[in-house]
Amino acid sequence: MNVERVILNASKIDCTGCSTCAVFKAENLQHAIARLNGVLKVKVDEIAGKVTIEYDKEKIILSKITERIGRLGYQVKIISEEEIQ
Amino acid sequence: MKGHVKGVILVILLGIFTLAGALMPGIQIAYAHELSIALTLVAVALGYRIYVHGIRSLMHRNVTAQLFATIAIFISVIAGFVLPAASATGTAGAVGYLTASAIVAFIILSGMTLEDYIIHRTRGALEKLINMSPTTARIRREGVEVEVLIDEVKLGEVVLVKPGDKIPVDGTVISGQSTVNQATITGESIPVEKTVGDRTFAGTLNEHGALEIKVEKIAEDTTLAHLIQLVEEAQEKKAPIQNVADRFTTYFLPIMAVVASSVFVASYFALGFDVALSRTVTVLLVACPCALAIAVPVAVAATIGNASMNGVIIKGGTHIEKLKDVKLVAFDKTGTLTIGEPKVVEIKTFGNYSEADTIKYAAIAEKFSEHPLSKAIIAKAAEMNMKIPDPTDFKTIPGQGVNAHYGNKHILIGRKLIEIGLSEEANQLISRVESEGKTAIPVALDKHVIGIVVVADTVRENSLESIQRLKRLGVKTVMLTGDSTLTAKSIAEQIGVDEYHAELLPEEKVAIIVELKKDNVVAMVGDGVNDAPALANSDVSFAMGAAGSDVAMETADVVLLGDDLTKVEYAISLSRKAFNRMKGNIAYAFVWNIVALSLAAFGILNPVLAVVLSEAGCISVVINSSLLLRSKPKLLAEVQG
Repeated sequence: MNVERVILNASKIDCTGCSTCAVFKAENLQHAIARLNGVLKVKVDEIAGKVTIEYDKEKIILSKITERIGRLGYQVKIISEEEIQ
Repeated sequence: MKGHVKGVILVILLGIFTLAGALMPGIQIAYAHELSIALTLVAVALGYRIYVHGIRSLMHRNVTAQLFATIAIFISVIAGFVLPAASATGTAGAVGYLTASAIVAFIILSGMTLEDYIIHRTRGALEKLINMSPTTARIRREGVEVEVLIDEVKLGEVVLVKPGDKIPVDGTVISGQSTVNQATITGESIPVEKTVGDRTFAGTLNEHGALEIKVEKIAEDTTLAHLIQLVEEAQEKKAPIQNVADRFTTYFLPIMAVVASSVFVASYFALGFDVALSRTVTVLLVACPCALAIAVPVAVAATIGNASMNGVIIKGGTHIEKLKDVKLVAFDKTGTLTIGEPKVVEIKTFGNYSEADTIKYAAIAEKFSEHPLSKAIIAKAAEMNMKIPDPTDFKTIPGQGVNAHYGNKHILIGRKLIEIGLSEEANQLISRVESEGKTAIPVALDKHVIGIVVVADTVRENSLESIQRLKRLGVKTVMLTGDSTLTAKSIAEQIGVDEYHAELLPEEKVAIIVELKKDNVVAMVGDGVNDAPALANSDVSFAMGAAGSDVAMETADVVLLGDDLTKVEYAISLSRKAFNRMKGNIAYAFVWNIVALSLAAFGILNPVLAVVLSEAGCISVVINSSLLLRSKPKLLAEVQG
């Protein structure tokens, strides 16, 4: 196992002024990423638009994760990458 | 689920502390008021989710309803300490202000928790699909049966599926016979027969027999996995009508800030500080942008979730809006309205020969032919449980028929080869059959015509009903085909389409779609592969029977996973309902906000009533939207425009 933690900025101009709506979108995003084979942990901070993902580099490449997030309608920007294990 | 339990516990604790704080002054103990203030402050603090959200959002330059609530509660708490002290009512007066703040926090937190829960429930349809994804498979390795994790299964391996088990992979049956319930994928709960050579889908349920299946797709590549991904993506795609709501919400809160300030200033000079403060707090609390912001997204997600449970994928909010306007549906004929494989529909015999004789000799001659008509005859022979021997020799003459020998018997198939020997009766039959758009295949044995096999493409079981349903909706139906006018006319009459166009080349189909689009919003239904250009040119494209075809699933706007054409009407009806619901939600949320705001500005509401109103407005919109998940496909008799 070769675990890497990546922090992404996933932005979407939706849900103006409504926490419920943001929670709703965040939950969908979180589940969709978590289901990818090789993703170990996902945390979505809907207020900051920040997604923290831990994944096994031997099973999935980062671009596959960002592509999935992109297909869900978000603009993705990588903030930081670090190997943790 | 854990998150919801935590949320509910917080709400309950907040409620208990509020109640305890409010009741405390009634008890005859020392420091009752001080204790009451302490308890109430704890209660207010338990609403931290609201304040954290409000303040963090502000730090990310996003003004939210939670920020307003935070400011309102903060003002009330401060006022509780400052105002009574100034007016000399002391701690007793403070309790009133603080209790009101705690109640406000309680109602807002309850609302947030309840909304989160209801919204989480709209994921139900998707979760159902996800839960159908198999996690293990039973496979045979080196002669031994082992159960392995689905990730460890390799392509080309053979999985064993026992009766009652879920099929773990997409693949082809290589041994065994059973019925399989494919409702997960196609939404059709009537089980399908599966035997050697048939394709199976991961997540479907094997019923009676044991099956051995050769693995073709696993895990993330299966039809089920694609289906889940498409639904996830579709639920995130916003409907154009949301722009209307977004335009309001963008300006909503800044405007509210201005309104709140004006109310404060106006009331301060007219009615004094206390009243001004109370009214301003009320205005801040009554604003409910959530009802507007969430009116559409939840409805879109619920609609798409509902459709996915019925074997239909609608690829996003835009298509819901297009579907609701569809006035004309164009169908491809072959493979869509019809099964697409010719079948023997009639056998006429002459002399002492039986139907079985006719089919037997025809099948012997056609045994090694790949022609669709030959396949129909071979299939008929198999259906009649015949064992067909090989011909001694055979020669296929393209466009004419087959000339074959079986032992010392000479078999001729096809009208052009045996025209000379046809009787008057046979000729009459042939012209009748051809006028119906069917194909007549005469069979001759040793130069005597022993029978005529009639072959035709058959109409799908529910094509007629599908057309009837659309007519009841007030939608026009058109059939497009490359086939002969005779065949087209016959099929069109059987199913009752309003209009048909025959003998079309693919580019002519496109031209007709473009022409039809001038006066109508046009949907086109096809198999998603052969009619791709015409589908691409329609306003909404439907691919039917798309389970297993990645191309069709990927390109169509609406995917019918099974081959039930009545789902076209279902998709249109559901979209009409969903759109009305969205429009209604937006109008309702808008009016609700205006009314509540006016009441607050003129001092008719107090802060507690204000939050009750705003949360009720928001929750009713969320519930109204999420109920779309429960809407069921209509019976034929219930369909109306």
